[in-house]
Order: sequence, then C-alpha cells, then structure tokens
Amino acid sequence: MEMLYWIEETAVALWVGESLWAYPFLLSLHVVGLAVIVGVVVMLDLRLLGFFKGLQVESFLPLMKFAWVGFVINAVSGLLLFTSQASYFVTNVAFLLKISLIFAGAVITGILQNKIRNPKGANSRALAVISLVAWIGAIVNGRLIAYL
Amino acid sequence: MEALAQSIEGGAIYTWVTSEFWLWPLMEILHFIGLSLLLGGLIVIDLRMMGFFRGIDIRATHALLPWVLIGFALNLVTGILFFFGDPLRYAGHTGFQLKMVLIVVAGLNALWYSWKIHPKMHEWDADANPPALAKVIGSISLIVWTGVLLLGRLIPYVSTG
Repeated sequence: MEMLYWIEETAVALWVGESLWAYPFLLSLHVVGLAVIVGVVVMLDLRLLGFFKGLQVESFLPLMKFAWVGFVINAVSGLLLFTSQASYFVTNVAFLLKISLIFAGAVITGILQNKIRNPKGANSRALAVISLVAWIGAIVNGRLIAYL
Repeated sequence: MEALAQSIEGGAIYTWVTSEFWLWPLMEILHFIGLSLLLGGLIVIDLRMMGFFRGIDIRATHALLPWVLIGFALNLVTGILFFFGDPLRYAGHTGFQLKMVLIVVAGLNALWYSWKIHPKMHEWDADANPPALAKVIGSISLIVWTGVLLLGRLIPYVSTG
C-alpha cells in the first residue's frame, strides 16, 4: 500500500489526476486502443470458429502486429490512468478481474498466433472461444470499475 | 431541441431506462462490445482497401460486413436508449452533436462505397492494389470512426451546453 500512495504522489500521477485534459484524453486513447486490439482479435476468433471462411486464417498474421499496437497503446494509457488512483484501483474487484482477463487474453492470443504459424491440424476452436470470453470479459469488467 | 428533450423526460422509455440501476452499465458494456465489432471489422476491410496487407484476399474482406453492421445496430439501439435516458445532457452537448455529424459522414461514405466500390470488387484480383477512390473511401472511414470513438469517450468529461 505504501508504494501505491507513493505512486499517486509522483509528478506523472498528479498530472493525470489534476490536469483538465489528461484524464479524458487518456480515456479516449484507451477506447481507440481497445477497439484495435479487441476488434481485430474478435475477428480472428470468429474466423477460427468458422465464420467468413473466404479469408485465409494465415492472412490475419500481419494484421495481428497492428492489433498489438492497440494493446501497447492501452498498456501505456492504462498505466498512466492507474497512477492517479493506484490505491483505489487495487481494491476494486472489477479492476483486478479486468487485469487478470487481459493477461489471460493476451497469453491465449499469443498461443493462437503460434498455432496459426505452425499449423499441425490442431483444432483452435476451444482456444478461440476462451479468447473471446477473456477479451469480452475484460470489457465487461472495465466498464464495471466505475460502478463497483 | 430543448423542447424535444423535455418531452422525452416525461415518456415511458426515459422512466424505464432511469429506473433500473443495472440497465445503464449493461448498455455501456453492449456499446463497447458493439464498437469493437464495428471497428474490428472495418480495420480489416478499410486497411486492405487502403492498399495495406495485400496478403488478404480483398474480395473476401466484405464477408466481415455483417459483423460491422451487427456492431452498428447494437450501438444504434443502446445509443438511442442513452439519449432517451439523459436527453437534456446529450441534446445540447457539442461533443455529442459533433459525434452525430461524424456518424452521418461515415454513413454517406459507406453509401459511396456501396455505390462505387462494392459492385466492382468481384472483378479485382485477390492481391489487387485498389484504385485511388477505394483508398480515399477506406481512409475516410477509419479516420471518421476513430473520431467518433474519441468524441464519444469525451462526452462525460466535457460539458458545454
């Protein structure tokens, strides 16, 4: 807890919390990053589940690099948003669930990418479902942070 | 606008949306899932139309359109309910008004696509470098929708009206 209070007193945290524009600006960036990472991953998952088969699964690989740019945008903007209320966020159940689900979603998406790179006929449907649940779950809990 | 907003506040939808405490967060969640479907599909379609990711069969990308439309429909319905739930705040809000203008621009751009690009797409090669007009329409789409997202997220924080 001591460290979290220290974080809240850093210059960055004070800028995020007190500047008129920093917080809404970072939130706006956060929603664009969300649309990029979750949007593209959901399209990949739907493809793996058998939708729009005209699109080659492998053709998603270069797109995934673009999707991870969205992830990095959100890791940075999310970290900055976190600093302003660090001690509050770590006590918020929805926040903790959201972070866990993002971690799970990122790992599973990485595994899926590897499977696509080295296809051995293995079925990716179950992983695609878990990926969908994790990323949509992250959105659900992200929204609930404000209500819990 | 003001009169419209006030008449909504007396109506049944307003009463329903504001009386159930779980409805607003649920609609927000659906709105976020909708925007992910909308943008996720458009990122694939528009970036390819702009000439990127040539490894993707451009003729196959339009199979993503139904998912884009599902996302849009989800956000149209939840968006209308948001408006009915808090009409006085939205109606006079510059950020909201700009967002609506951008959505109309995106809609006209989509019509332009379905008029000029969609009918010709099946004649293109899978790895085609799209014509300049397709690149323009794809760029407008991504820029305008990104603007919609940015403005939408600013609405709760900027009060002008």
